[in-house]
Amino acid sequence: MNRILLIARREYAAYAKTVGFWLSLLAFPLFAVLGGAVPILIKSSEPIRAVAVVEEGPEASGLAAAIRNALARDVERRQERERQANEAAEKATGMPMAGSSAAKGAFARLSGPRLRIVETPPEIAAAAPGAAQDEIVRRYLTDETPEADRLDAVVFLSREADGPAARVWTARATDDTVEDFVRDALRAANRKALFEGAGIDPAVVESAESFRPDIAVFSPKSVSGGEVSLRDKLPTIIGMAGGFLLWSLIITGASILLNSVMEEKSNKILEVLLSSASPTEILAGKVLGVALLTITVLLAWGGIGAAGLLSFAPGQAAMVGDILLTGGMIGWFVAFMVGGYLMYAVLFAAIGAFCETPRDAQTLMGPIMMILVIPIMTMSMAMTTPDAPAVKIMSWVPFFTPFLMMARLPSDPPMLELIGAMAGMFAFALFMVWLSGRAFRAGALSDVKLSWRSFAGAIRGGGN
Amino acid sequence: MAAALTLEGVNKRYGGFHAVRDLGFEVGKGSICGFLGPNGAGKTSTIRMILGLQPATSGRIEILGADDGRKVRDRIGFLPEERGLYKKMTPVDAIAFFGSLKGVPLGEGRRRAREMLDAQGLGAAKRKKMKELSKGMSQKVQLIASVVHRPEFVILDEPFSGLDPVNQQGLEAMIRGLAADGATVLFSTHVMQHAERLCDKVVLLARGRKAFEGTVDEAKATTRRFLELEGAIAPEQVQGLPGVAEVEVAADRGEVRVIRAALDRGAQGQEALKAAFLGGLDVRRFDLREPSLHDAFIALTGDNPDQDQSVKPAGQEAAR
Repeated sequence: MNRILLIARREYAAYAKTVGFWLSLLAFPLFAVLGGAVPILIKSSEPIRAVAVVEEGPEASGLAAAIRNALARDVERRQERERQANEAAEKATGMPMAGSSAAKGAFARLSGPRLRIVETPPEIAAAAPGAAQDEIVRRYLTDETPEADRLDAVVFLSREADGPAARVWTARATDDTVEDFVRDALRAANRKALFEGAGIDPAVVESAESFRPDIAVFSPKSVSGGEVSLRDKLPTIIGMAGGFLLWSLIITGASILLNSVMEEKSNKILEVLLSSASPTEILAGKVLGVALLTITVLLAWGGIGAAGLLSFAPGQAAMVGDILLTGGMIGWFVAFMVGGYLMYAVLFAAIGAFCETPRDAQTLMGPIMMILVIPIMTMSMAMTTPDAPAVKIMSWVPFFTPFLMMARLPSDPPMLELIGAMAGMFAFALFMVWLSGRAFRAGALSDVKLSWRSFAGAIRGGGN
Repeated sequence: MAAALTLEGVNKRYGGFHAVRDLGFEVGKGSICGFLGPNGAGKTSTIRMILGLQPATSGRIEILGADDGRKVRDRIGFLPEERGLYKKMTPVDAIAFFGSLKGVPLGEGRRRAREMLDAQGLGAAKRKKMKELSKGMSQKVQLIASVVHRPEFVILDEPFSGLDPVNQQGLEAMIRGLAADGATVLFSTHVMQHAERLCDKVVLLARGRKAFEGTVDEAKATTRRFLELEGAIAPEQVQGLPGVAEVEVAADRGEVRVIRAALDRGAQGQEALKAAFLGGLDVRRFDLREPSLHDAFIALTGDNPDQDQSVKPAGQEAAR
């Protein structure tokens, strides 16, 4: 036992004492924040497109005004949504919306218009439709025109027999922002014209279009026993996040173990270790040491997440705490983590015992990584349709149980299913410990190149 | 002398490959025993069986009174052929860690490590990381790591490989020191000179079989002494001298030749030399040479210990 602890201690210290470990540990939350912020920043920094609108002929009269009005309404709607979002956030956190003026500016730009109508250049307005006019438009859309006068799009509006139509010239062929906006605006203008033609008051039409029904959802399974609130939806989010967290922790831990054993094999340390401790003690010590590292990672990530939540959304933090502690989710999380980690860690360690370089490990790691991608792909399905037969069956497969069961947990799967799948996972984990122990013992002293055949042979022979 | 190690009828097979065949020998307590043979002769396999890292296919091994090396793991020190220590650890921490696995408390291990490093002239390297040390230095550190727990039995697998002559000399002194402190030492090598200088006893292994077991002198006695003569002489003239068994021309420089004569077993060579001078042979230089352990090995096994005998059967573990 003492040897196991000594090996675990060395294993833990070897990583925990390095700057790289702490940097990579902090990198995950940092990248998670960046991952969420970057798309917003990209969106907010998107340029506002300069669009010229040309009515082609007297029949098109009024369509340009319709486009301008639609744009004005769009701006109003966006501002209203921003106001409502701020109110909801303040209500949820109990705090006024904080943030720097730069951040507020970025969010304001997000809710701002994506295009602006500019004065149509006289050259374009005066030109007769046809090739000559198209040539002028091309010039205004490319760098043949100075940047200050350049346009992002020119919209030619016309009225056909069946309603308004448009030709949209854009500077970028792949940008459909203007096209989409013009289509919606013309559709609304057409609808309005048709209703007016039918004698309906425009104010009635406007009112009907802007109406948003207020829908309340009730469920006997909600916390209050009636109306469904954010508190009822949080477990699903936590279950999903827990599944992904488990996946990344288990894979991180198992990969550390693989590299650690590979390093000892290539540095010829394993044989010295084997003369001082049994293969079981070495394997157990390494698995325990890396488990402690994984717990350190979990505590650090959990701490950062809790601190962030308490700072920016204390109301939700209390709810999350309640779900994790009183809802028992944390207990299931720990159990799935222990079983899942054990299963993958011993397997990776056994593979490492045959390898001196990552290239050596590729033969076996390739298929294993493919298996590991499956729960990632099915976890969102487990959250939305937790009772789908495919999800139920897959959550009984020990390799997937920890991740899929964690994601299914908020939907209250039958206790028998939960306990059964967990028992299966632990039984399989113990089988993996036995199997990998044999392979580890054989691999540690072997010079044989790793293959499915040599791995199977090692398990059969157990190093004898 | 009581035996610290006994092997009887030990065999090791890897699938269809027979790496060690019917091997038996003894190592007395407190002695230095050389386990000699070319690469691939089965030395490493035998050592792993002694340590209990691999089971013998058949036969009996007893070490320090136990029938399995694993049972007396803490009383054995082992330096494997292919060596390495944690590169990012300091020598003191590495030595203390391996000592702790053998039951030496970490603090005591560190104290002993510093003391032993100083004694080996590695005081300046104490605070460096292992990766910053030269090969000779790290080999010494590893040897210290394998004996920091003061084992009763020390097994060193090719301890001299990769060392320069100065470090080889230092290592020889360390091995003598271990034996002087009462430890039994078994070391494998394919370089006969080390065994010749160090060993109380040698076991010669060739192609998995024991070729000889005894003292160095006994091993040498199994082969012939040589008389080397240089001058204007013909091989037939040397062949006729008393006690000469075989002759060969080692060098031919026209009129002057170097002729090497292998003497009959037990012949000392003086008679042949006396007869050569009395017979008026034009001898300009002579050299009466004792057989070396290297010569004895060749004579006993028909193999050259410097030649690799490694066999790596397809799909099987390599036997070294």
